[in-house]
Amino acid sequence: MPRRRLSLTVIAVFAIVSVFVVRLVDIQLVQAAQLTKDADSRQVRTVTTYGVRGDIVDSNGVVLADSVDRFDITASPKNVSPEGFVRLNKDGTKTKVALTDAIAEIAQLTGADQQQLYTALTKDPTSDFVYLVKAVKLSVFDKVKALKIPWVYSEPHPARSYPNGAVAGNLVGFVGTDGPQAGTELTQNPCLNGVNGTSTYETSADGVRLPGSTVVTKPAVDGGTVTLTIDSNLQWFAQQTLAQQAQATGSDWGTAMVVRVSDGHIMVDADYPSVDPNDRNTVGVDALGARSFSSPYEPGSIMKPATVAGLVDKGLVTATTHVEVPARFTDGLPAGTVIKDAEWHGDVHMTVAGVIMNSSNIGIAELTKLESEKDRYANLRAFGFGSKTTVNFLGESKGYVANPATVDAVTTVTQQFGQGISATSAQVASMYQAIGNDGRKVPLTLVQSCTAADGTVSYPNAGPTTQVVSPFAAQQVRAMMETVTTQGYIHRLITIPGYRIASKTGTAQVADGTGKYGNDYIVSVAGLIPADKPQYAVIVTLAKPDTIKTSAAAAPGYATIMKQVIKTFRIQPSTTPAADPPVAW
Amino acid sequence: MSAVAVARPLRQPTTHAQPRRHLEVVPTRAQRRARPRMLPALVTIGGIGVILLAQLLLSIVIADGAYQVSSLQSAKHDAQLQQHALSEQLDLLASPQHLAANAEALGMVASGSGLYLDAKTGAVTGSGGAAGGSILGSGDQVSNVLLDGTPLVTPAATGPGTTGTATTADAPEGSQTSTDAGAGGAGQDPQTPGLLPSPNTH
Repeated sequence: MPRRRLSLTVIAVFAIVSVFVVRLVDIQLVQAAQLTKDADSRQVRTVTTYGVRGDIVDSNGVVLADSVDRFDITASPKNVSPEGFVRLNKDGTKTKVALTDAIAEIAQLTGADQQQLYTALTKDPTSDFVYLVKAVKLSVFDKVKALKIPWVYSEPHPARSYPNGAVAGNLVGFVGTDGPQAGTELTQNPCLNGVNGTSTYETSADGVRLPGSTVVTKPAVDGGTVTLTIDSNLQWFAQQTLAQQAQATGSDWGTAMVVRVSDGHIMVDADYPSVDPNDRNTVGVDALGARSFSSPYEPGSIMKPATVAGLVDKGLVTATTHVEVPARFTDGLPAGTVIKDAEWHGDVHMTVAGVIMNSSNIGIAELTKLESEKDRYANLRAFGFGSKTTVNFLGESKGYVANPATVDAVTTVTQQFGQGISATSAQVASMYQAIGNDGRKVPLTLVQSCTAADGTVSYPNAGPTTQVVSPFAAQQVRAMMETVTTQGYIHRLITIPGYRIASKTGTAQVADGTGKYGNDYIVSVAGLIPADKPQYAVIVTLAKPDTIKTSAAAAPGYATIMKQVIKTFRIQPSTTPAADPPVAW
Repeated sequence: MSAVAVARPLRQPTTHAQPRRHLEVVPTRAQRRARPRMLPALVTIGGIGVILLAQLLLSIVIADGAYQVSSLQSAKHDAQLQQHALSEQLDLLASPQHLAANAEALGMVASGSGLYLDAKTGAVTGSGGAAGGSILGSGDQVSNVLLDGTPLVTPAATGPGTTGTATTADAPEGSQTSTDAGAGGAGQDPQTPGLLPSPNTH
C-alpha cells in the first residue's frame, strides 16, 4: 500500500516538474527572442547620437559654415487631456492650465499657428508622437521646456548655419534637406560628413532614464573641418566693392579674384550677384555657384600677356622689339575679314611694350607671324587655358582653345588676343599667377586642408607646378604691363601712389548668339602687385555693363580692391621706379 | 648529665582525610581540534556582517553617485548647448557685415593707405592719404539674412563730462547705470563703471 502511494507521488511530482520544464523551455528558448524584444520595447530606449558635420573655415579660422543645434518640439497626443493639466510653479503653488492656453503659450513662443497645433494634437488621440514645431533655437526651446507641459517632448535637429551670410557663399555652398547641394559643402562632403551613432538606455516603469544604463551601440563620428584659402574679411570687401561697381555700371554679373602668387592660394573669389547660403531664394539659379569657375567668356585683351610671354620665352621678341603696326591687319585672313584696333590709327611704330600698353590687336596679330600655330596653341594650353584648374570646383568649365588641327584662319590669330577663345576668371587668374611667379605656374588652391575630428590633417593633392615660361619672359611681360598702369588709357583710375603695379585691361565683345559680335562687352582689369616682386594677382571682371562699355568700368573696382589688398597684407611701397620700357620708336 | 634535645618526628595527622584525586578525561588531539572555537566563529560572522553592511553602503553610495553623474552629465550637456548657442551668436556678431554696419553707424570711416616706418633708418614710406570714407556707401551689398532684426550698437545717452559708452539696444536696464551715477554725484568726477579710468592731460 505505501509503495503504491509513493509511486503515485513520484509520478505526480514528475508530471508537475514536466509542466514547469516545458513552460520554462517555452519561455527561455522558444519565445525568448520575442519576449526580450517586448521587454526592451518597454524598458530600453534607443536614441540616435549625432555625428556633428564639420565646419568650413577661412584661412584665419573664421567660421563660414557651422553646425548648430536646433530642436524639434514634439508631443504625445495620447497623453493630452482635454481638461488641461496642473502646473507646479516654482513657489510651490499649483495652477490649472487649460489645453487651449497651453497651445497658446507654445504658439506665442515659437511663432507657430495655434489652429495647426490644435489640429496636430487632436487629430489622432491614440497617437504617441506628432511634430509641433520644427527647428527652434535653444533660447526658444528652453522657454518651451519651462512651460512644463507634460505631453510636450523634443528631439535634437542638427542644422547648418552660415554666420557670414553671403561672404564666400558662392564657394561654401549650402546643405539642403537632402544633404549638401552646392560648393564646398558638396565637393568636400567626405571630409565634412559626420557619421551618426546609436546608444541605448533603460527606463523605469514611469519612463525615467536609469542612471548608468546607457550603452553606446555605435559611436558617432564627428565630421572634419575644411579650411579654405579664403580671407573672409577681404572677400567681404571685394564682394561689396564688386557689387557696388557692378550696380554703378549696370553690369549683369561680375567676378573678382585675388590669388597669392607664391602658392596659388585663392584669397578672394567674389561673385556678383552672390548667394546667401542661409536663404537661397534671394538670387537666381545661375548665381548659386561660383561664376569664376563655371562661366567661361571671351576674355579679350587680358590674354595678350600670355601670347607675348610665349614669344619672349622662345627668344623671338623682348619688350623693346620694334613692331610696325599698320592701320588694319588682313594677312592670311579670308577675303573681307579685317582685324582692327579699338581706335583707328595710321601706320604706327610700337615696341612690344607699346603693343601691350595700347592693347593693339593688330600688333599682336603681327607678332603671331613670328611663331608657329602649334607653338602658340601649346603656349596657351601651358598657361592652363582649355583645361580645368586643379580646384575642380563644382560645375567648373574648362573653357575652349581652338586646336591647330581644326582652327580656322581667323580664330588662330584672334585667340591670341582673347577673341574666339573662352576662359574662366579662375584660368585668367592662374595665368597671371604664373607671370607673377617668374613663369612658374602653381596650381590654384581653394581648399587648404581637411582636419579630421581626431586631429589628423590631410591636404588635397594640388597637382604639379610647371615652368610655363622663363623667369626672364615673365619679368619682361611684367615690365610691359607696368606701362599700362603708368601710361595706359585708364592709368588715372588704377595708379596707386608709391606702388609699382603691372596691369592689363580687357574689353571683349560678347557674341550675340547668332555667330556675330553684338554691342555687349565683358570688361576686365587684371594685375600684379608689386610689379617688381609680385605677391598678389588681382582680376576684376564685369559682364555687359550699360554705362561704360570699356575696361574703365572695371577699373575703379580693381583699384579699390588692390588698395585693400595692400592694407590687408601689409604690402610695402616699392623702392624702385617703374620699369617703363619705351612704347614707341 | 646534659639534657639533649631530641626532635621527635611529628606524627602524621590522621584526622585529615586523604583528598580525592581529580580524574578527568583528556580529549585526544583530534577531539581537541574538532571542538568549535568561538573567537574565529565570531570574527567570521562579524566579518561577514561588516562586509554585507559595507556592500550595502557602497551600493547606496554608488547608486547615489550614478544619479549625481547622470545629473552632472545632463548639466554638462546643457552647458554645451548653451556654449554652442553663444558661439553661434558670437560668429554672427563677428561677421563683416555686422562689424562694418556698426562701425559706420558709430561714425567710423575706412582708413586711407598706410604709412610704413622703417625702424632701422627712421625713414617713412608710403603716401598716406586721406581716410577712405564709407565702405558701405549705398548699403551693404553682401546679404546676411541671419542679421535681420539684430540691432546696431548705438552710443548711449551720456551726461555732460561722462565718457561715452556704447550699449546694445537690447541690453538689460541695469547696464545703464552710468548716467544716473553722473547726475547724482554733483561735483564728483563722473565715473562709468567698467571703463578704465583715463588720466587728465593738458
